[in-house]
Amino acid sequence: MSILTAKRTDMCYCPGCSHGMVLEQLGEALDGIGVPPTGVCIVSDIGCIGTADRYFSCHTFHGLHGRSITYAEGIKRANPELLVIVLIGDGGCGIGTAHLVHAARRRADIKVIVCNNFNFGMTGGQHSPTTPLDTRTSTTPLGALDQPLDLCRTVAVSGAAHAARYDAFDPDIVTSIKHALSVPGFVLLDIWELCTAYFVPANKLNRSSLDAFSTQLGMPFGLIHEGTKPSKATSSGSARPVRRAPADAGDAPAISAIPWPHRREICTAGSAGQRVRSAVGIIGDIAVAGGLFAAQQDDFPITVRRGFSISNLIVSGEPILYTGLDSPDLVLILSSDGLNRFGPLSGLDASCLVVAAAELPIADAVAPVCAIDLKTLEKQAGKESVSLAALTYALVKAGFIVPALLQAAAGAVLSGAYRQSNLDAIAAGIAMADNHSPAACKSPQ
Amino acid sequence: MREFLTGNQAVVRGAVRAGCNFFAGYPITPASSILSDMVSAFADGTGVAIQTEDEIAAIGQCIGAAMAGAKALTASSGPGLSLYSENIGLAQMGEVPLVIVNCQRMGPATGGATATGEGDVLFARHVTAGGYPLPVLAATDASSAYWLTYEAFNIAERLRTPVIVLLSKDISLTRQTADLNAIPLSPRADRLVASPTATYQPYKIAHSADTPLFLPIGGSRQVRFTGSIHDENAVLTADREKIARKLTHLRDKILSRSESLAYVEADCEADASALIISYGLADGASRDAVKELRANSIAVSHLTLYSLWPVPERAIAEALSSRIDRVLVPEYNIGLYADELRRVIRKVPVESIQRFDGGLISPQVIVDHITRFGSQKAQTKAVCTCPS
Repeated sequence: MSILTAKRTDMCYCPGCSHGMVLEQLGEALDGIGVPPTGVCIVSDIGCIGTADRYFSCHTFHGLHGRSITYAEGIKRANPELLVIVLIGDGGCGIGTAHLVHAARRRADIKVIVCNNFNFGMTGGQHSPTTPLDTRTSTTPLGALDQPLDLCRTVAVSGAAHAARYDAFDPDIVTSIKHALSVPGFVLLDIWELCTAYFVPANKLNRSSLDAFSTQLGMPFGLIHEGTKPSKATSSGSARPVRRAPADAGDAPAISAIPWPHRREICTAGSAGQRVRSAVGIIGDIAVAGGLFAAQQDDFPITVRRGFSISNLIVSGEPILYTGLDSPDLVLILSSDGLNRFGPLSGLDASCLVVAAAELPIADAVAPVCAIDLKTLEKQAGKESVSLAALTYALVKAGFIVPALLQAAAGAVLSGAYRQSNLDAIAAGIAMADNHSPAACKSPQ
Repeated sequence: MREFLTGNQAVVRGAVRAGCNFFAGYPITPASSILSDMVSAFADGTGVAIQTEDEIAAIGQCIGAAMAGAKALTASSGPGLSLYSENIGLAQMGEVPLVIVNCQRMGPATGGATATGEGDVLFARHVTAGGYPLPVLAATDASSAYWLTYEAFNIAERLRTPVIVLLSKDISLTRQTADLNAIPLSPRADRLVASPTATYQPYKIAHSADTPLFLPIGGSRQVRFTGSIHDENAVLTADREKIARKLTHLRDKILSRSESLAYVEADCEADASALIISYGLADGASRDAVKELRANSIAVSHLTLYSLWPVPERAIAEALSSRIDRVLVPEYNIGLYADELRRVIRKVPVESIQRFDGGLISPQVIVDHITRFGSQKAQTKAVCTCPS
């Protein structure tokens, strides 16, 4: 029994429409390659050819206009054993051009059969992306002006394994379809058809008109392209993984509880490239490992390598419900970008401590201000880690954390390529806090 | 063990825990890290993760994969949810198990890509043509982003429906302290499958609210799928009786389960006169406000909604004890859900606390709203008692 379960005369298509003929050719090709119906999925979408899935005894998926290629790709990725065929019209290739091109680029192992009759047959004969120049449709009554899309060459330059164009009356088309279905990778067959409801009467066409279009448009029949092999991306994502996310948390490093005053809100404001977010994240990691609760909220422009970088950290012995930072207890300003983004310091309480790079003009603070020499810290901690060193200095200076406990916790918690430089930065910050002359900090007036 | 992680990381962990094995997405702030972390999570071959040409292809591939048997996830922000729209309708009509995470951001169009906002709470419900319901959950923090994503998969599988999980920028990208492994989860639910020996009818149901049994495209039995109105065999139909049956089923499947889909947390006081109903990002500030009010001997009730749609009407009715004479709803939009709650809560005024400039609603704003503006005593007493 054929995979095609309906006779052409029982199908819904208009008299003379090529769709039924092409479906018979596809059925014959599928029967010929000996694949069982449950080894095939036909994916269709909108338009007259979108009604064809019902005539086949294989798996069928009927979706939205132009999106059949996306469903087909998902089905193929989830079940790489399946022969996945897309039946799509020329209209679908317009609304879904992006999918057509990118599925070819991904070398998705799907077989796209375009039943191309040069117009929208289901909605009243409007022009499609393949409508030949100067031909009439209901939306190009004086003749089409737009360059028709060369489907074969479009996918050929985009990574297709096989692209061929036939007219539906080609006597060898079944052999050609059989071959195309056997080619691994992205395959497209552009099959030119007659729409007897609209395009044929509007343009007084017959079978030989397809040959004339072929010549006029420079779109020859036959095999246009055979080449690119499918990539590994067929069943797995094309993006190459760089690291593996932990499926679940591992064992906690041995670390004793870190004493901490009640909720403390810390704002660190600097520039892109100062590794502000990473420094704040390290302190957050240490706090959480030490039994505290932390919340980190970052603010940065969408172009991450330029402009300000602000990171807000809340640390508390209690769960943090509201993660906003309304009245900071500690503000660390590392650059003029950071200062500008933070805004006036005059609103800060006298109980807040401001730590700012020495060269910044801090005139408006009611809160006490400590000036730090980032250049010196940079020499000790390295350029990459200066923010972490400065943040450590600020935390110690504010009296939030006992330096020895911070250092011990950091030793237990930190890992990875930057472990040593981060430990060095924390040590440098603590040393500076120890040695810092009281004159560098200015109390409120 | 407590961890320090973002809401987006929690989503990935919840999805993997639920058995998700297919992800397709398109980069967009603030959802992008879900895409890159899913690529990493499946690097060992336990699943497929792919970046597509746009959100339409992302959800399209998810739908195809889901119907071939995968547990699929896609994640985006409001502009991407807009592009998902047509295919969410397909997933409803075709009864596709699918989880969609929407990391909301501020405003319409491009809005504020790195600013917070929760303006998609009605859009999520009405995201596609036709008006049929779909479950919408809303995370309040990293912990709830984890377990809600997990539960979303269970709902999607059990009911063969798209489920939307809402986060927002300040949940997606803020690192918070959470002990994910200590969160109790319901058993993992997989979709109910049909016997492959019988002749398979893809949409056969005995009762309107039943979920049709699943067989995968590509299995040993022919499976048909269609987004057009269809009969139990997934064949186009013009039979009004069959059409009504199918569409009634799409309604009943979700709405008849309003109670089992209602994830809420009630923290009520018997002598409270004000009830705060919060969801999403405003929930943390609401909890802090409740603490402060109670520390100042002001009784207050609080209801957290993790389910926005269907509206958890019974839980809301239960929280409205007879003494409650005002309901406050803080939210990051122009008062969208407060309006919906006014449909449900008719006996007392629903007051809206709104912020939509990208900044946060602080606990103090809620405290001040309750203490400064005493409300009129309600004319009619509600009859439900608040659970203690």
